[in-house]
Amino acid sequence: MATANTVHGRIESARPALTTPRVALGLALLAIVGFTLLFVQEPLVHDSLHNARHAAGITCH
Amino acid sequence: MLESYLVRGLKAGLVAGVALGIFVAVLANPMIAAAEGLAGDHGGHHASDGSGGHHAGEGGHGHGGHESASGVLGVVSAPLISVAGGVFWGLLLGVVTFGLAFYFLEPAIPGTGAIKSAIAAAGGFVTVSGAPWLVLPPQPPGVEQALSTDARLWLYAGMMLAGLSACLLAGYAYTRLRDRGRGHALAGAAVPFCLLVGLAFVLPANPTTQSLPAAFVAAFRAQVLFGQAIVWTLLAGTHAWLSAEGDGTTTTGAVGSVPSDPRPSSD
Repeated sequence: MATANTVHGRIESARPALTTPRVALGLALLAIVGFTLLFVQEPLVHDSLHNARHAAGITCH
Repeated sequence: MLESYLVRGLKAGLVAGVALGIFVAVLANPMIAAAEGLAGDHGGHHASDGSGGHHAGEGGHGHGGHESASGVLGVVSAPLISVAGGVFWGLLLGVVTFGLAFYFLEPAIPGTGAIKSAIAAAGGFVTVSGAPWLVLPPQPPGVEQALSTDARLWLYAGMMLAGLSACLLAGYAYTRLRDRGRGHALAGAAVPFCLLVGLAFVLPANPTTQSLPAAFVAAFRAQVLFGQAIVWTLLAGTHAWLSAEGDGTTTTGAVGSVPSDPRPSSD
C-alpha cells in the first residue's frame, strides 16, 4: 500500500477489483442516469424532469 | 479501498440529493410554475428549433400546462418526478465526484482533509455547472434561445469537458509549481481558468428573447446558483465529515487507548 499515494498507485491498487463486467456495469449505470438527467429530449421523460433540469441549470429546450 | 470511497461518495450524494429534492419541491417548482404563468400570454415555452413539434403533436401536452402535466407513469405528477430527479442528481454527483474521481485523484489534490473535499467540490461545480453556464446560463422556462436544442446540448457537453480539463490542468500546474512558492503555484493554477473564460467568449453567442421581467430572470438564476452551491457544499461537507470519522475510528481502534490528555494546554 506504500505505492498507493500517487494517482498511478491508486489505479494499480484498484486494478484487482476492476474486473471487466464490474467496470462495464458501473459505466453503464452511470451513463444511463447521467444521460437521462442531462441529455434525453424524449418528450415524456423530458417533461417529467423538466423542473429538475431548470432547477439544476442544465440546458433545456 | 475503492469500495469504501464509492460508499462514502454515495452517502454524501444521498445527503446532497435529498437536500436538492427538497429545494426543487419547496423553491424551484413554485418558481418554475410562476415563470410559466408569466410567460403564458406568449404561448409559454415553445422551442424555436422544431422540437416544439413534438409537444404540439402530443395534444395539449405543451409547456403552457405544466402544472397539470403528468409524468412518465401518468400517475405521479411531473413536479414530483422532478423532486426525484433532484435526488438522483445529487447521488450521481456524489458517486462520480467523490466516489470515482476522488479515489483516483486524491493524491494529486492539494491540501489535506476537508480542504481536499472542498477543492474536489469546487472542481466538480466548475465541470458540471460553472463552465457550461459561461456559455449557457440557466434560463427559466419561457425564454426563447437562438441556438437549437441540439447545438446547446453539444455546447453544454463540450463546456463540461473544457471545465474538467481546466480543473485537471490547474491541479497539475499547482503541483508542479509548488516548490517555487505558493504565489507561483496559484498563478499557474489560474491560467487554465482564464483560458476557460476566454473560450466562452469565442464560442457562438446564444441571444435570447423573453417576455419575462429581467428581475425575474435574475432571481431565477440566483436561485439556481444557490441550489447548486448548496449541493456542492453539502457534498464536500458530508464527505469531509465521513472521511474524518472514518479516520478517527480506525486510529482509536488501532491505538486502543485514548491519549492521556485530550485537551492540550495551548493557550
